[in-house]
Amino acid sequence: MIELAGVGYRYPGAEQPALHDVSLTLRAGECLGLLGANGAGKTTLLSLISGLRQPGAGQLRVTDGQRPGMVPQQLAFYPELKVRENLELFADLHRLRGQTRRQRMDWVIARTALAERLPRQAGSLSGGEQRRLNFAIGLLQPTALYLFDEATVGVDAHSRQLLLATVEELTSEGHAVIYTSHYLDEVERVANRILLLERGQVKLDLDTRALLGEQHGLLLKWPGALPEALERELLAMQLPFKRLADGWHIEALQGADLARLCTLIAELPQLPSLLRFGRPSLEQLYLHLSGGAL
Amino acid sequence: MILRALMLKEWRILLRDAHALAVLFLMPALFLLLMAMAMANINLDRQPPLDLTLQLPADDADSRFFQRALAAQLKTRSFTVIAPAANGSAQTTTLQLDGTAVGEPLQVRLPDDFSAGLLDSEPAEVTLIFPARTDAASRQQLRGAVQIALAQTRLMAFLLDSGELDEDSSEQERLELVGKRTANRIVEQELLASGDLAQRANATQHNVPAWLIFGMFFVMLPMANGFQREQANGTLLRLRCMGLGLGPLALGKLPPYFAINLLQFALLLGIGVWALPLLGVPGLSLPGSPLAYALLALCLTLATCSLGLAIAAIARSTEQALLLSGGLNIILAAIGGIMVPKGVMPETMRQLAEVSPMSWALDAFLTLLVGQGGIADILPYCLRLLLFAAVASSLGLFLFHRRLRETQWTTHY
Repeated sequence: MIELAGVGYRYPGAEQPALHDVSLTLRAGECLGLLGANGAGKTTLLSLISGLRQPGAGQLRVTDGQRPGMVPQQLAFYPELKVRENLELFADLHRLRGQTRRQRMDWVIARTALAERLPRQAGSLSGGEQRRLNFAIGLLQPTALYLFDEATVGVDAHSRQLLLATVEELTSEGHAVIYTSHYLDEVERVANRILLLERGQVKLDLDTRALLGEQHGLLLKWPGALPEALERELLAMQLPFKRLADGWHIEALQGADLARLCTLIAELPQLPSLLRFGRPSLEQLYLHLSGGAL
Repeated sequence: MILRALMLKEWRILLRDAHALAVLFLMPALFLLLMAMAMANINLDRQPPLDLTLQLPADDADSRFFQRALAAQLKTRSFTVIAPAANGSAQTTTLQLDGTAVGEPLQVRLPDDFSAGLLDSEPAEVTLIFPARTDAASRQQLRGAVQIALAQTRLMAFLLDSGELDEDSSEQERLELVGKRTANRIVEQELLASGDLAQRANATQHNVPAWLIFGMFFVMLPMANGFQREQANGTLLRLRCMGLGLGPLALGKLPPYFAINLLQFALLLGIGVWALPLLGVPGLSLPGSPLAYALLALCLTLATCSLGLAIAAIARSTEQALLLSGGLNIILAAIGGIMVPKGVMPETMRQLAEVSPMSWALDAFLTLLVGQGGIADILPYCLRLLLFAAVASSLGLFLFHRRLRETQWTTHY
């Protein structure tokens, strides 16, 4: 679908390159969660992939030369036009005709639940509806690769679920997707691969399952002094744990050990302020990997 | 398909922009109507009526003759005469009253030795007193009337002295005789583009094209504003990501504004021809070939839209677009003879006017309307407008291309 080999880019007059030696191959059915702090190079990478800029170094190759469909974070439509007129305009600009056009229009309208809003002026829609229209226009183009940049900012929970389900559907249908958002729970849900950029370079490029792991851990936090009895028990059970300022993080835990620890905790004079069992979230991992910078 | 879609989009947006339509149609139409009514009398030499007080040294025949000669020269709203009565007190009479005096009147004071000095080579001084608010036209009007009335009074005294006028003749007879002796016939005509002469132009023939040109140049405003909005809301980014380049993006924008400009041209000329007479203002007549007007409309439209494209590409925000297009339009109008006719400008300003495309367009219009010229006569002005359009559009396309290249993925969150 898309292949980047040693891609670099330096803005005119800049001392440091915005991207340096980025290599990436994205295949059909892959959804890449693009992460990185502000200034890490995400915007530049999206500009290159979308064809707005040409790489200063390396090679960027898109299968069949198709331009990606894109959903930018801005509400990139004409508020003076009606919803239908906006969709028809971009369908025209994508040169969609006949049966393909009708099918594509019906599909995006259904996926974004905009059927009842077609006669309305786009500028008069609610914030969530405008976001759905922005999404719909991005999906109009039948192409192999779609870019989503903060595509769900400001939408209500229902619309968000609808849009995320559409992204998952695109991936399952064999399209490649690059999804970037500051809502890491969304990225965790839709992406099956994570690319972390740091200072213009790829810091991490891993399968989401491999990154997040299957190991379930236990996070315990106490409001006051840590109960020493519990720490003695953790040592006795030979569990791999890390002592935090206000608790412990046990990285891997089996069900039996969990039950034993819970019994012990229940007998303590003070209960924990937090008890969380499960695999680490992408947000936890991201904060850990990026040193807390967002 | 792409070009048609882009043009349709631009057309729909423009037609739904009530502010833009008001600026493009309502504002120039109102300007045209108001200015045509306000300035209807200017080129007809109809002077404003004056409030006048004439102070006479004595109630004698010479003073009364001067008084009547002066009254015959002036259109007065109120005319008060103050003369000493037989008992020595001042007697005030109203000679002519066409209305109520507004504020302080203008005054004419004849000297005490007025009669005695009429045949002297250096007659006694006549004093004119003007209130501070008096405009230049009224001052000139009074000066001229006093000069003529004085000359007629002195002629009357000379004719009496030389015996050519009977001592027993009535005041009316004397006035008629002197009037005949001093009457002149002057006809003012306009030099036409063909070299022929015609009747003098009326204010409508200046006002209609002037405000029409002013209104047409306002097309810059929605053009520049629309482009800024497109960039600000990310639609330009989307269009660029779809691979649309300079050609379709620029070509998709221009035709709707061409059409609007041509509509303005037709509508405002129509107001000049048909609506102004309904308001009691002389209507616009359109002499000459319709092709000449069509050529002028085309050249003018190309100039305005090219300038609009350049401003759209120069401005970096909607605020800048508004200031640049609105400000430039007013400056070009001010120096180009739209707001103040070039004829009343000092020489330096008249030379400066030649840099304004509005001035070229207005000259072309006047050549058609007043000079009754044809295509050949307006060709020099049209060529200037076309050259201006070529320069402005080249600059606009160059900057537009640069702006498109600079378009990048934008992040706000």
